Amino acid sequence: MVSVRYEKVTKRYDDGTEAVKELDLEVLNGEFLVLLGPSGCGKSTTLRMLAGLEDISEGEIKIDDARINDLPPGARGLGMVFQSYALYPHMNIEDNLSFGLRRMKGEEKLPEAVIQSRVDAMAQMLGLSEELAKRPKELSGGQRQRVALGRALIKRPKVLLMDEPLSNLDAELRHQMRGEIRRLHEELGCTTIYVTHDQIEAMTLADRIAILDKGELQQHCPPMEAYNNPANDFVKGFLVKHLNDIKETADTLFKD
Amino acid sequence: MSGERTMRDWYAPLEIYTLSAWLRVVVVVNLFLLIFDYLRDDGLEYSLVGILLLALLVKSLPDGSKSWRRDTSLVLSGAIVMVGVLSVLAQPIGFVIWMESWLIIPGLISLYWISSPHVSMWNRELMELAKIENGLARNREHSAAYQRIGKHVILAHFAFIVLLPVIWIIDISLSPGNALGGSLGDSFTTEHYSKILGGDQFWIWMTNSLIVSIGTTIAGLGLAVPAAYAFSRFKFSGRDPAMFSFLLVQMFPGIIILVPYFMVMKTLGLLNSHLGLILAYSVTALPLCVWMLKGFFDTVPRELEEAALLDGCSRFEIFTRIILPLSLPAIAVTALFSFLAAWNEFLLALTFNTSNDMYTLPVGLASMISATGQSWGDFAAASMLVSLPVVILFILFQKFLIEGLSAGGVKG
Repeated sequence: MVSVRYEKVTKRYDDGTEAVKELDLEVLNGEFLVLLGPSGCGKSTTLRMLAGLEDISEGEIKIDDARINDLPPGARGLGMVFQSYALYPHMNIEDNLSFGLRRMKGEEKLPEAVIQSRVDAMAQMLGLSEELAKRPKELSGGQRQRVALGRALIKRPKVLLMDEPLSNLDAELRHQMRGEIRRLHEELGCTTIYVTHDQIEAMTLADRIAILDKGELQQHCPPMEAYNNPANDFVKGFLVKHLNDIKETADTLFKD
Repeated sequence: MSGERTMRDWYAPLEIYTLSAWLRVVVVVNLFLLIFDYLRDDGLEYSLVGILLLALLVKSLPDGSKSWRRDTSLVLSGAIVMVGVLSVLAQPIGFVIWMESWLIIPGLISLYWISSPHVSMWNRELMELAKIENGLARNREHSAAYQRIGKHVILAHFAFIVLLPVIWIIDISLSPGNALGGSLGDSFTTEHYSKILGGDQFWIWMTNSLIVSIGTTIAGLGLAVPAAYAFSRFKFSGRDPAMFSFLLVQMFPGIIILVPYFMVMKTLGLLNSHLGLILAYSVTALPLCVWMLKGFFDTVPRELEEAALLDGCSRFEIFTRIILPLSLPAIAVTALFSFLAAWNEFLLALTFNTSNDMYTLPVGLASMISATGQSWGDFAAASMLVSLPVVILFILFQKFLIEGLSAGGVKG
């Protein structure tokens, strides 16, 4: 059972601003949770505290009831996909994928044959088998995105974290990758936390969405429930009105 | 109709087009040459008249309307050639011929081009539209090539100015005797080289220089790389003042720190040793190395390090496995820089190491001038041999250098 729990988590910066305020949030095993909100709402900070890239000012974050506040990022059993992909430019795709596997320590240390077979399987699953010897800069945006995804998944992480992974892609590719991410999630059943400011992404991907504004949780429920029963004015404006606007635009466009 | 009008208004034949650019450059060059005239005390009359005529010619180039312009331009061009020829006749020596060819050749080109049938047709407004269209196509096709020719003529002059001293030194090092004069390439000998390479001294100096320079490079990088990384990535109290104080040291002339350095080295017993120089050089090269490397590290995205953190790297592993491999070009540039600084340094080496066995090459070279009674041939040969390792280094590292100096870290 892998679940993630934020208990009264607060992030305060040196200058006193609070990015996240007393956040309580639970992510269930195998769930696809989308953190949705406008820029500056604290959604990325929420994710980065879980990843260990930001210190937690107050409160606790637990994975499987174990407090991970003070574990180093590499020991938390997470995989993360960054907005800019952050592939290692000086390594080929194969080394990019296997880099994390080779860093495992102690009992988790993997024999070479296992690493090789995992890399091959991951490349196969993401359609990258032909590209293993190439450098990241030789790949297209979509392919880089896939490598980033593969690098996060290959360690069989307890939780997969994604920070606006699709925002550097064009509309067509974004649509395609959205489908692929959902498909992978259903295949692997990996607990996933996904940060975005895009309402459509949130509605199509999520099992549940957590809507944040000014560092506070506004609503936490399945996407359609948030649409049908918005908890407050913010959710109404940010989610419901936005989606209705899109619907209206589409209706006027295709009226005739 | 307006289309045709536009074409006519915008069209100028390639010749005119190019001339108006070239002549402007020629005016500037002649203004520079005026300085030589002044320094050589040659009398400025011819040059001043030449420049005046050139300026008038630029202003009076034909503009495609029936007018006095074409005739005036031809007269002016002829006059420019005349002034140049008269000036050469007054003083027929090589240098003057080169200077005045900056009047004669442009004058001749103007004469030839302005009198060409194409230009005279255009000037009498007799050109058909089809011809203008052809002319525009011709401009597009050739103007880049003409511009290149112009640029290379100018660049060749600069290259010559830069290379002249080097050529001179090479010539002296290969001429018999130990005089500075003589014309280029009269007689050839390698006696100076065999004398220098045959003696022990040069090799002793070379060994000293190599030990000190390589030692400086290693010590300097060993200090600068971690320091630059810390400055680039970590926030700590005193970070900004520290960066600034690094620069501050660079603002004083080197001779100010000479005496304190000497006292320090004397106290430490490091006079007449390699280590003393290595220490002093790495410290003086440090500020610039740190700033250069910090600038490069700043361009490496943080997300790369965060990805490595999540992949289970420690801080140190991130540094060795991600940052260092990515920074190789920048590190190569910095290494070369500290090597060169140590290789060419004179003042500290002269002050610290007083025994002949501990001389570095620059100090050794200087000692040759007084000790052997100004044997310039030997001196020139030794200078060539001193520069050789540096030239080889530059050729080997050229690719890295360009990358390291131009690239801002990581793309894609």
